[in-house]
Amino acid sequence: MKLFGKRLFRPHSIWIRKLVQWFFFLLIAFIAVNHTLVESGAGIPFLSSASLHAVCPFGGVVTIYQFATVGTFVQKIHGSSFVLMIIGFALAFLFGPVFCGWVCPLGTVQEWMAKLGKKLFKRRYNHFVPTRLDGVLRYARYLVLAWVVYVTATSGTLIFADYDPYYALFNFWTSEVAVGGLIILGATLLLSLFVERPWCKYACPYGAVLGLTNLFRIFKIKRAASTCKADGACSILCPMNIPVDTQNTVRDHQCISCLECTSEAVCPVAKTVIFTAGAVK
Amino acid sequence: MSLNSKSLAVILFVVLFGGIALSAALGWWQTESSKVAATYTEGEFAGQANPADIRGSYTFGDVEKNFGIPAALLAQAFNVRTDDPSTFATKELESIYAESALEVGTASVRLFVAFYNGLPFDLGTDIYLPQSAADILHTRTLTPEQLVYLDAHIVPDPAAPAVDSAPITESAPAAESTERFVKGKTTFQEILDWGVSQSVIEQILGAPMPNPLTTIKDFCTAQGLSFETVKTQLQVEVDKAK
Repeated sequence: MKLFGKRLFRPHSIWIRKLVQWFFFLLIAFIAVNHTLVESGAGIPFLSSASLHAVCPFGGVVTIYQFATVGTFVQKIHGSSFVLMIIGFALAFLFGPVFCGWVCPLGTVQEWMAKLGKKLFKRRYNHFVPTRLDGVLRYARYLVLAWVVYVTATSGTLIFADYDPYYALFNFWTSEVAVGGLIILGATLLLSLFVERPWCKYACPYGAVLGLTNLFRIFKIKRAASTCKADGACSILCPMNIPVDTQNTVRDHQCISCLECTSEAVCPVAKTVIFTAGAVK
Repeated sequence: MSLNSKSLAVILFVVLFGGIALSAALGWWQTESSKVAATYTEGEFAGQANPADIRGSYTFGDVEKNFGIPAALLAQAFNVRTDDPSTFATKELESIYAESALEVGTASVRLFVAFYNGLPFDLGTDIYLPQSAADILHTRTLTPEQLVYLDAHIVPDPAAPAVDSAPITESAPAAESTERFVKGKTTFQEILDWGVSQSVIEQILGAPMPNPLTTIKDFCTAQGLSFETVKTQLQVEVDKAK
């Protein structure tokens, strides 16, 4: 895709995903700003002024316990969070964590930082963390998930908001954001210069939930071993460091369905790495 | 069946925004709270709004609707200078008291409302009130435990008080009025005794007044009326009659 003769996206990338990411980043940014404006008496007409909590599907996840036991939502969580949670799950059951790879603005910002990191470190980028340590750390997000669900269920409040980099990203200009959230956001952005999507890999509790759907989702990333050249391009460029070239079906719990490994993007052989609900030839 | 990126993008938009549109049509898409506080579920105050459920997004007007405490009085208690106190959000208190070493915020409003209305409240954590709010509460009937807690949790008013922090007793309810608060056990006879006429009561109820010894809450429950609404309206009339 070109604009004024200049290529907008690198060759062999899923450019439409970048556009979708931009769309949702701007949408959430405008909603967050409008929320602040409305509270101060101004506001942009025809644009939602919902709080960030109201448009976050993870809010629905953390309020499940209270909803099931008391019939109410956790403070600051509304019906919209629950609806988005259901939609997020429906999409994940079909396509895996597309929310992570296509929608989540924090993931998008980390990818933007990754561009800088790739320029700085070239091929070393995203390969700094020793494999064994990396493998262990990737389960840390399930601990984060367990902690968030527990403290929310026992306190009835969104304690995680004080540490949530996503909330800090779109509220850093307000007094509502906690120092903890800003520190974690800063650390996430800094680490993104070395590791692609560090928050997603090691700490995101919503990614942990959605990642589980990789085990049974309907549409999967599949590799046709018969035509695969085994050049490793798919594995090298996978933002989540999944060794796609060694698997016939990607069931890794960290896949974000970005499709960057497919024959539509980096795989040089047609119909070799595909996103399908059926079998590959 | 295989999908390419463009198909996935289209499906993503259709499912996401279609789902939102469908939920909106079904009335499930709510991005704001109803600003109706949860009620006590048991005990003497069952059915009454619980101040512990006051949230930072509540304005003083929302607090007034839920608990019958005038927004102007809340503004006075917390040194808020504004032409329209009913639109002031409780979470904004933190910025007014930013200079204070001890936090005054939404929790302070919860505490004030609980003490003012004589409602049960968990005193297990340290919550602070400005001197002006404490002055108002000292005119109410508090238990010895509440008095000790209150006197140990006072912070000075802001350096440049938003409202004149002169004695507030003029607008604060008098001490003898502490019994004149409509609660779950209040009977219609008590309302009559407090100077509210039967016709005014019936106007609020929209129905003939029952036996005066009937509790208001029982009557509302039997008639399908909102106790909180009736209580608030009666409280206004009781306050007028003082």
